[in-house]
Amino acid sequence: MTAAAIAVSKPKRKFKLTKRVFSYPYVLFMLLFVVIPLVMILVNAFLDSDNTLTLDNFADFFTDKSSLIILANSLLVGVITTAICLIIGYPLSYILSKMPSGRVLVLFYVLPMWVNFLIRTLATKAIFIAIDVPLGMGTVIFGMVYNYLPFMILPLHTTLSSIDRSYIEAAQDLGADSSTVFLKTVLPLSVSGIISGITMVFIPTISTFAISQLLSNGKIFLFGDSIQMKFEQGLYGVGSIMSLVMLAFVLVSNFIINRAGRKSGLSVGRSLW
Amino acid sequence: MKKKALVILALIVVCALAPALAACNTSGGGIVSGGADTLVIYNWEDYIDTGILDEFAAYYREVTGRKLDITYSTFDTNETMLTQVMRGETAVDVVCPSEYAIEKLMRAGLLANQKELAEKFSKDYPGAFDNMSDSTHSGNINATVLGKIGETFGAMEIGGKVLDMRDYMVPYMWGTLGLLYNTKVISEKELEEYGWGMLWNESDNPELENMILMKDSVRDSFAAVVFYMEEYDLLPDEVSETYGKPFDELTVNELINCTDAPLVAKAEELLTSQRERISGYEVDFGKDDMINEIVYLDLAWSGDALWAVEESEYYEDTDTYQLGYYVPEKSNIWYDGWAVLKNSDSKLAAMMFIDYMCSPEAGARNSGYIGYTSAVDQELMRYDNGAAQALLDVEYLWYANEEECSVWTDADGQLAFHFEWVEGEGYWLDLFGREIEPDESALTPLSLQTDEEGYYLLPADIAAHLPEGMDSYPLDEDYIVCPDSISLFYDDEGRYPEITENLGVMQDYGAANEAVVNMWQRAKAGGGVPASLWWCLFAILLFVGAILAAYFIKEALKVRPRRTAKSSEPPSAEDTDGGEPSSS
Repeated sequence: MTAAAIAVSKPKRKFKLTKRVFSYPYVLFMLLFVVIPLVMILVNAFLDSDNTLTLDNFADFFTDKSSLIILANSLLVGVITTAICLIIGYPLSYILSKMPSGRVLVLFYVLPMWVNFLIRTLATKAIFIAIDVPLGMGTVIFGMVYNYLPFMILPLHTTLSSIDRSYIEAAQDLGADSSTVFLKTVLPLSVSGIISGITMVFIPTISTFAISQLLSNGKIFLFGDSIQMKFEQGLYGVGSIMSLVMLAFVLVSNFIINRAGRKSGLSVGRSLW
Repeated sequence: MKKKALVILALIVVCALAPALAACNTSGGGIVSGGADTLVIYNWEDYIDTGILDEFAAYYREVTGRKLDITYSTFDTNETMLTQVMRGETAVDVVCPSEYAIEKLMRAGLLANQKELAEKFSKDYPGAFDNMSDSTHSGNINATVLGKIGETFGAMEIGGKVLDMRDYMVPYMWGTLGLLYNTKVISEKELEEYGWGMLWNESDNPELENMILMKDSVRDSFAAVVFYMEEYDLLPDEVSETYGKPFDELTVNELINCTDAPLVAKAEELLTSQRERISGYEVDFGKDDMINEIVYLDLAWSGDALWAVEESEYYEDTDTYQLGYYVPEKSNIWYDGWAVLKNSDSKLAAMMFIDYMCSPEAGARNSGYIGYTSAVDQELMRYDNGAAQALLDVEYLWYANEEECSVWTDADGQLAFHFEWVEGEGYWLDLFGREIEPDESALTPLSLQTDEEGYYLLPADIAAHLPEGMDSYPLDEDYIVCPDSISLFYDDEGRYPEITENLGVMQDYGAANEAVVNMWQRAKAGGGVPASLWWCLFAILLFVGAILAAYFIKEALKVRPRRTAKSSEPPSAEDTDGGEPSSS
């Protein structure tokens, strides 16, 4: 993002001031709706119900076995959903990127996103009930994969279809067979897409609450559900701690994913999201 | 009542429309500043016939001569309301929360004493506050409900003073907690025998296994599990710390408000064991799932349950509905009430509004519109013209038809209606739907005039047939309202249960709230990571492993015949293995 910004700002120096003015609404928006809520959560985390400073909320959370189990469940569901999305999404994007009509076909995967995800989830639930599938962990993971698959396919497709064909041709000229071409050329070149996809899927899945609630009749209780319940019951302190823990996980996973990306020579690819 | 999914949807819509709404608000605000009085009402969602608001504004203008601008906003849980009001984030004049939330507001010293306000305002507007109730008179409000409130909240010690909640709120709607069941799967006998145990499928009905829905609400589920313990002698053997006597000697009211550690621990154990036997937890889709027979039993509030029964299929041959509502012997009685905030600037309008909501007509309209039981005395509503009209509009009442019933007069000239829905099981009702047992030999058939569709027209000499002390038929002008429909509405035990010792009022959990919420979370989450998750992860790893293995085998096969194997091949495979993100 910064690289792009510099690239744009260099040639037209005259309008520098105007441009900065244009960014003010966004900065204001970020302040109001991102920074201030975060600060409020941070403050709440250290307050008890009588608004006095305390660290009890941390103790409450980290000594409560059930909260930690719920967190582990959420992380596992997140990992599984992301893995399934990748296993389904990568071959699909690969095939689509090779097809001339791929761009149009990708639209079909994006199309469902135009319908509100709650409506889609409720519809999924109705289908499961109609075909007598018992609601539970299986249906929750299905719902997650169904909802987040487009977020995996889109970056993958963009990366894969933007790979220069000449790299592949060069590899073939040098005698690589199709699997070697894939492993040594296509896969490394698409790592940026994989990373964007994983980020786009894993981070939302560990924090969802609506999908798990609806598709399991509330029997699967994930971290997002727990946070929602804490806030609903007026336990703002613990709820804030849990939000912070969630935030920490998002940051850590982002960091790890990015690290992994840089390590495997990401310099060829571009960051997509 | 709590339509969570819908709320989320609504939120999304609201976010999308926020700019437009903001514009509306500011234009509205402009008018408000033009000298009119304002009233901000903060109520549950879908909890009022909104048409009444405009009528109240007109009534207010008539009485006070001033214009009134009403802002009506809603909340979806008591906790949302509490946050808004207690943190002072919203300037509100009137709120309508549940009993325990009113208790919290009172303890926080946020509510105005309505009795004092009524006395003060009555000087200028005599008679304008006669409908509403306080601790000394019940007005139009059901006196038994008020008595029940007084039992629990009649003497609250707050800040050194003893306060009566009835001076700080006027009940609006009330009801019970009970079981909504499918009449084809569960018999009434089963319900009477097993009571709350039905939620744990104590009757071992194979059809009920995994077909039960629990409320996704801490307070209601805790109440249900405590009653279940009481019924099945599962209460802890210890002595209750709070009350100083054994758990099994506690009254219903004490039991339902007890949050002693042993009781909460036992509740957790039972709720966790229940988790394996039920379909899930709901707050908003239970009614629909019951009607669509996705589940057969649901823990429900009376208003929701009655609505569902009304919507469910009716079997003519047995005169039964597909769904039924059953309140076990011991249960919870809840109510929502109107309260005026202390810092309100429009206390007069707020008080007049509350009084307006206590008229029989408003009671019937709201009750008919939302399906819950109004706290207005049902005997007043039964004889009130406006109330009857309101219920006719929403089809809770209908006109008497000659196909349904025959009309007779007894020795005193009173009308008697004979109904026979099921062959051989006839019964008699008077003009107002009360069951009577007339001396059948003294009855003479009366041939009332009917219109072309068979509806009985009101006879011109109706005054002669009315009970003593009544000079006109108050229900409708031209037709007779079917007495059976009146009876069905006002004598429904689900809608108007008998209020006895066995119904307990729930108080705020106070400091124990967090412990109970945590218990509920543990019960709902079940113990440990589900095995299915590990299997799922294992399957994925196996799948990835299989692909890698396939690649290695292929490489190995390829390498051998060629003999010119490139030494770089094996490390490259390891490289990709390390870079495979799905396995990390």
